[in-house]
Amino acid sequence: MTIEVEQLSKSFSTGRAKRRTLVEAVRDISFSVEAGERLAYIGPNGAGKSTSIKMLTGILRPDSGAASVLGITPWTHRKQLARRIGTLFGQRSQLWFELTSLQSFRMLGAIFDMSDLQLATRVGELGELLDATEVFAMPVRNLSLGQRMRCELAACMLHEPEILFLDEPTIGLDLLGKQLFRDLVIRLNEERGTTILLTSHDVADIESVANRVIVINHGSVIYDDDVEVMRRSLFTTKRVEVGLERPVIVPEIAGAQLVEHTETVARFVVDTSKRSIRDVVDAILEHLPVADLSIVDPPLDEVIGAIYSQLAVE
Amino acid sequence: MRSLTATMRSAFAEAWSNRSGFWLQVSIMIVNDLVWVVFWVLFFREAGSVRGWDTQQVLMLQAILTTGGGIVLGFFNNARRLGQLAADGALDATLVLPVPTLPHLLVRRVETTNLGDLIFGVALFVIGCDPTWSRIAIYLAGSLISVITLTGFLVAIGSLSFFFGRNEAGELGFHAMVMFAMYPVDVFTGPGRAVLYSVIPAAFIASVPAKLAESFDLGMALGMIGAAVVFATVGYTMFTLGLRRYTSGSAWTRA
Repeated sequence: MTIEVEQLSKSFSTGRAKRRTLVEAVRDISFSVEAGERLAYIGPNGAGKSTSIKMLTGILRPDSGAASVLGITPWTHRKQLARRIGTLFGQRSQLWFELTSLQSFRMLGAIFDMSDLQLATRVGELGELLDATEVFAMPVRNLSLGQRMRCELAACMLHEPEILFLDEPTIGLDLLGKQLFRDLVIRLNEERGTTILLTSHDVADIESVANRVIVINHGSVIYDDDVEVMRRSLFTTKRVEVGLERPVIVPEIAGAQLVEHTETVARFVVDTSKRSIRDVVDAILEHLPVADLSIVDPPLDEVIGAIYSQLAVE
Repeated sequence: MRSLTATMRSAFAEAWSNRSGFWLQVSIMIVNDLVWVVFWVLFFREAGSVRGWDTQQVLMLQAILTTGGGIVLGFFNNARRLGQLAADGALDATLVLPVPTLPHLLVRRVETTNLGDLIFGVALFVIGCDPTWSRIAIYLAGSLISVITLTGFLVAIGSLSFFFGRNEAGELGFHAMVMFAMYPVDVFTGPGRAVLYSVIPAAFIASVPAKLAESFDLGMALGMIGAAVVFATVGYTMFTLGLRRYTSGSAWTRA
């Protein structure tokens, strides 16, 4: 296992003097990650995601529990671990704003004991991979957020880490920037086998990047499975989109709720726990002039929203 | 060592990136220091001497203070900001690097303004402090010990933020130290004077080396070295213990 976490807990005290209270940020979480996995670690604000990552990178010391990252206990051998992992916090920067990224890379190269030749080769590779060779030579203060995030990613990849911890890396990026960033992370994983642990509030990040998801809430792990399994097992509804050959009045279809109807399209939501998708499709084919038909899973944000709502009720 | 040198180089390059601003800030600080020295010269011309201190000694005090203070606040500027960085949770970027945390943090930021102090201090010593070989030795050693004591003190009070979550003590301590170190220690009496030789070691920052330049006293010299060792040890220990209590944060920050 690349990462093993056993009953890790961390509390913070808040408030002042006599009004001090203890808040459990992470409570007895346990999970493991295999080499090469792309894991999304998600949860609402204050769920304990960042605290978990900060413990796994050695920034914070837990109150109790154990963790091993690449066989190293992060908070006792932080510097040793730092040579083998890369971290990118959306709200932290490893770059010097008044300097070019190349100047920051030189400092990081010295920190990671890289020779000038190693550094130049690596910067060249990353410049090509991230399509950022010219961006590296510009002062960081002049970069757009998207360009800066590419440089930040290069900075944390310089020493060829075995694991990348990405804490809300797409925060503030526009749609195009986010998609570019996701593609880059997937390429790093597929081409170099880098293990990815990602936190994000953006469902599209999780859908695009992760092949496994852990949901954490109130400091505890409440769900841990493949993204696809989560989508299928937690949602018993399917969406059926029907392209119509001609405008028609749509009759009532048992087990299917009509949610949208135009002259050319009819969209249904089907609760598969009440009627099978096959029966519904048969009924649609029988009663409507179908030109095209597709069955899709619900969007992941609905799935995650459902998990949170379910927890709130419990 | 290579990582620290590279970090210092980056910090200086950042300060140097705005060259006109760099020289403007340096010049303003030199003028500021000059005004203070002119005040002391005029004061002692009228007063003659105060509790054994005369113009010559006060110029030596100012030279060592601005040299030592200029090095600490110019090249190790985060010593002063450490408490705020800890309270803001801004140490993450350093903690994920394979570097010795405290030294890396200290050299990570250069403050241009205070480099003006350093330049002024050296110039004042050369021009106004009669630099004989023995005085040069005391000036260099005094400045070095001043750097160690001041850095240790600032790190120690800044580290209180780890324990209390706020940095008021750090700011108060910094201002108290700078204010008291600017005056000859002998103008203070009673408990106040004792404080300047202990809790707020302002006496060792400049007054004691300035006195040693006039008449060398082995006991006083050893006391000064002892203070540097104590405050360096206390600062390092408090930072190391405090770091275990570091709580990070989620604000947009940089160290």
